[in-house]
Amino acid sequence: MTALFWLLAFIVLSSGVAVVSLRSPLNSALALALNLLAVAGLFAMLQAHFLALAQVIVYAGAIVVLVLIALLLLSSKIEQHKRREDYLAVAAIVLGSLFLVVLFPLLQGALPQISANNVQVTAGTVAEIGRLLFTDYVFLFQLAGLLILTALCGAVMLARSRPGQGG
Amino acid sequence: MNFIILVLEVLLAFGLALGLASFCTWVERKGSALIQNRIGANRAGAFAETNVLLLKPFYFGWRLLGRLGVINTLLCDGLKALFKEDFVPQGASSFLHALAPFLAVVPVFMAFAVLPLAPEFNLFGYHIRPQAASFYDGGVLFLLAMGALSVYGVLLAGWVGNNKFSLLGALRAAAQMFSYELPMGVALGTVILVYGTTDLYQMVESQSGLWGIMKSPMMFVAGLIFFVSGMAQTKRVPFDLPESEAEIVAGYLTEYSGMKFLLFWLAEFAEIALVSLVMVLVFFGGWHPFPFVSLPSGSWQAALAGHFILLSKVVFFCVLQITIRWTLPRFRYDQLMNLSWKGLLEVGFVNLISAAAWKLAA
Repeated sequence: MTALFWLLAFIVLSSGVAVVSLRSPLNSALALALNLLAVAGLFAMLQAHFLALAQVIVYAGAIVVLVLIALLLLSSKIEQHKRREDYLAVAAIVLGSLFLVVLFPLLQGALPQISANNVQVTAGTVAEIGRLLFTDYVFLFQLAGLLILTALCGAVMLARSRPGQGG
Repeated sequence: MNFIILVLEVLLAFGLALGLASFCTWVERKGSALIQNRIGANRAGAFAETNVLLLKPFYFGWRLLGRLGVINTLLCDGLKALFKEDFVPQGASSFLHALAPFLAVVPVFMAFAVLPLAPEFNLFGYHIRPQAASFYDGGVLFLLAMGALSVYGVLLAGWVGNNKFSLLGALRAAAQMFSYELPMGVALGTVILVYGTTDLYQMVESQSGLWGIMKSPMMFVAGLIFFVSGMAQTKRVPFDLPESEAEIVAGYLTEYSGMKFLLFWLAEFAEIALVSLVMVLVFFGGWHPFPFVSLPSGSWQAALAGHFILLSKVVFFCVLQITIRWTLPRFRYDQLMNLSWKGLLEVGFVNLISAAAWKLAA
């Protein structure tokens, strides 16, 4: 199992680097899909089967596919991509290090408390997530649904054809 | 020893996917000939002769398979595809060109891992459940996840073809698979609600009396929705807009030849088998032979019988799908989209709510 963990961790990290460093946006999107699948594998190793499946259905199965469709519609030809500017890379590294400096003390306090022994094994199962969604977090759950509905209506309004403008 | 059992179960699931896909290929070729009043494949191997006495029985079987068209459709076509030129369009990445068929095949084959095939049994002191991934919480959701992943192969194939027919085909396929995933998810949600579990094995066990489709009117509607959207997911007539040859050559398959083309074909037929299997497991009693006649679990004889009962039902649904494919004409594109977004989805939601009310009242 440890070997599997290291394999998945390696895939997660290397595909994460690939997402930001690959030239072609299509390859980046595919690397992102691989990254999300490997994270789903990590969830499954923690017995959080439902989280793993939700990760695959929602992120790898829907969101990255939408990104891919957008890429297909925008750039139908296989094109050469121009070099990225160097100052952007420098800025990214500086900002990333700053973020790490802020994050590190927090992680230091939180990490030792989490170990394989005290992780709640049932936390990611279908039954447990369903129970939490419909008891403790029912209002937040409904609010999130309302938010999604609003966004849906907004998308329909934006995409709707208006009279006098054709198609 | 447990590891060997697991390997055997995985091999069984893989062999089932391959075997059913080959069976569907044969039914497609020979059955379409029957439907269209043709003779169909009946030459290759049909006239094989030998003078060696010992080999005569084998040659008899070989001739029989040849007459039935099995050798032509499975052996000859496979060999032909292997020896064909592997054409990669100019300017396309050969890695992505090779990756796309695998991305089409792998999710479909992986979905077979969560399907239970027979009641559990004890043999030599081992308790065996014929289901490769029986430890997994949420078998039905795994099917949806694999269905969602199967879009990648098609999208990539269309993009890598580097021409407009491939791209149009891929966009049509992606839109269609997306649209029909929602009614399918709602139908499976109804199923989860009625059975009160996501475990496919427990679903089959709770059908020992009434089959799933008879449990309530909502289950009947959910079965219909699942079957229609499952057929749409396989992208075949009447839902074959992504590869309609009269409009866009062969859609996302335009730039594929040889074994890579055959892999897409294999994925399509494995999907037919998958839809039939889920249909039987969830709605038509799984390995229970008749309503109110259940198969007991525990003995290996019952498990063996269970495999065959399940397979015979699955074969029925495979043949049904192929018959529908050769009977109906193709939808228009707006009809296809309207059926999903303005028909199946609404019916599915109303169905889900009424199933919840039914469950509360009962």
